[in-house]
Amino acid sequence: MKNNKTKDFIIWTILAIVLGLFCSFVFLPMLDVNPITAVSIMFKDTFSDTFTIGNIFIKTAPLILTGLAFAFTYKANLYNIGAQGQFYTGCICASAASLALGGKLPGVLVILIAMICSMLGGAMVGFIIGFLKARFNANEFLISMMSTYVITFMMQLLLRTVLQESKHEYLKTDYLDSSTWLPKIIPGTSVSFGIVIAVIAAVGCWFLLYKTSIGYRIRVTGMNQEAARMSGINPKNQYMIAFAISGAIAGLAGLVEVNGMQHMLLTGFDTDIGSYGIGIAILANAHPLGVIPAALLFGFLQVGGTVLGHASDAPASVIDLMQGFVMLFVLMSFFFRRKIELRRLKQQKIAGEEAV
Amino acid sequence: MSNIINLLTRAFFMSTPLILGALGEVIAERTGMMVTAVEGIFLIGAWGGFIGAYLSGNLVIGFLVAMICGILVAMLYGVTTVYMNQHQIVMGTAIAILTTGFCTFFYRVIFGVQTTPLKVETLPVIAIPFLSEIPIIGPIVFSQNIVTYLTYLLVPVIFYVLFKTSLGLTLRSCGESPEAADAAGINVRQVRFLAVAVAGCLGGVAGAYYSLCNVGMYTSEIISGRGWIAFGICFLGNWNPVGALTFGIVFGISDAIGVYVKALGLAGLPSELFSALPYFLVIVLTVCRKQLKVPEKLGVNYIKEN
Repeated sequence: MKNNKTKDFIIWTILAIVLGLFCSFVFLPMLDVNPITAVSIMFKDTFSDTFTIGNIFIKTAPLILTGLAFAFTYKANLYNIGAQGQFYTGCICASAASLALGGKLPGVLVILIAMICSMLGGAMVGFIIGFLKARFNANEFLISMMSTYVITFMMQLLLRTVLQESKHEYLKTDYLDSSTWLPKIIPGTSVSFGIVIAVIAAVGCWFLLYKTSIGYRIRVTGMNQEAARMSGINPKNQYMIAFAISGAIAGLAGLVEVNGMQHMLLTGFDTDIGSYGIGIAILANAHPLGVIPAALLFGFLQVGGTVLGHASDAPASVIDLMQGFVMLFVLMSFFFRRKIELRRLKQQKIAGEEAV
Repeated sequence: MSNIINLLTRAFFMSTPLILGALGEVIAERTGMMVTAVEGIFLIGAWGGFIGAYLSGNLVIGFLVAMICGILVAMLYGVTTVYMNQHQIVMGTAIAILTTGFCTFFYRVIFGVQTTPLKVETLPVIAIPFLSEIPIIGPIVFSQNIVTYLTYLLVPVIFYVLFKTSLGLTLRSCGESPEAADAAGINVRQVRFLAVAVAGCLGGVAGAYYSLCNVGMYTSEIISGRGWIAFGICFLGNWNPVGALTFGIVFGISDAIGVYVKALGLAGLPSELFSALPYFLVIVLTVCRKQLKVPEKLGVNYIKEN
């Protein structure tokens, strides 16, 4: 029975993804781009050389983490739509730590410190949101949404003042010392250790949620708050724990992006990584391990879209179009899958009654 | 003194779209539907309004196109949440991503690549005779554009409809107790769907306000979270049109202060903190303010049992 369900889920999701991509390519002729050529460019050129394939993994690493951040709170029936802000907090902490200590301490040690800083920073923001929810019953998604904007402006302020590059020309930091860069793991590409961190985080989340008592409490709170309270679990504590962990994961994405990819902090980068995370978590049905293939898909769409933009007249906005349509159809597929499942159950029941 | 008057005039000017969006949100949320697609609705309103106005050369047509675009996006949201029972917050995010891509893509399709941004004339200010000559209040309140005046008229109208008519009772019952409303013969899903469409209509106009009244052009960053502020205003205003008006003005003021401080360009002043003020204010006010009139079934989809 359970296998059947998983099979249904995969079939329907793939169907939805194909339909979503189809819908976005239908519009391409308006810009004199042949959709069929576009598809072949996207698949052929993206997988033609290792460097471009590597780019997919680079894009995927932070996406896995922001996807996990949303999925984690989702399990507690909470909505952390402020992963963007926690991601930026992680970026600020990671770059500040790496700039301050880079070159003075061994690189590995600096990376470890930056990692802890970024996670603590993100966890702090998450914890505040969870605390406001628990203590004042404030609406968590409104607050988390707003926190993103506050943090974005904070980041601009910091980049204009204390963190600004020594030339004081642009709103960005100096390059990080190369000893603090995450090591590259595949030669010939720029794939960094970040993808490994992301996959470990996904497995860790899965373990935490399904194999430990902390995860059990969080999931019970998510499924039925009253039942959780009756059995001695304080839902309010779970809010704070879930939000803090979720924030820490999003903060870690900041480290992966800053130390692994950008090697500096600048304004207005990855402005949608938080909302993509939500899409990825939904695509994965909020399962921590499912987040990995879902993030790979989004990573592929982003790299493929960029490749397409270079090779033809298709604009970069087609990436958002693809991601939006895919999300929309995946959500719709949930409805149809549920409907079919219900019909099947009904038929089974009727068959059962007839047998009696 | 004239500085303060200018600032407040600007504040009232900037509060209009927030109030409009929040009013739509109030109507929808009273029926139990959080229109989390509000950010997307604002964006497509700004986009549709600009395109309509630019191609026709007529601002009225621009606003009509914005309304239609807003309604269409709201209907997409309505179909998936009301009739297909998908989660409201998640759906809102999906629609936000989709509209971002859609607007940028079709702006390119329609106008191609432009080196300088295309512009339209912004909506003119109509100074109401006599009233606009009252000292202080005159220039602030009675020298605004027509959309602002209509928004202020809409507040008592919506208040009356929501709380004094049977239509209002129908709307509110769908948010408080959909089962009871259903038993009383109200088609809960239909009511919710239509309420979302109304919110989309108002949100579309609110979005067009940014492109047609504020800057006279369209960029993809034109909304940048203001839809979410309208969403927050609805919460802070206790799901009441008058509350939406009050908090709309508060946020208009904080928005105007942010723009003003940035324009001053004083090096020592952290202008970013002032720009963050409206967003920070939502957090503080959400925490401080007791929310008394939360519609009972807000955000909960109604699934009829057979």
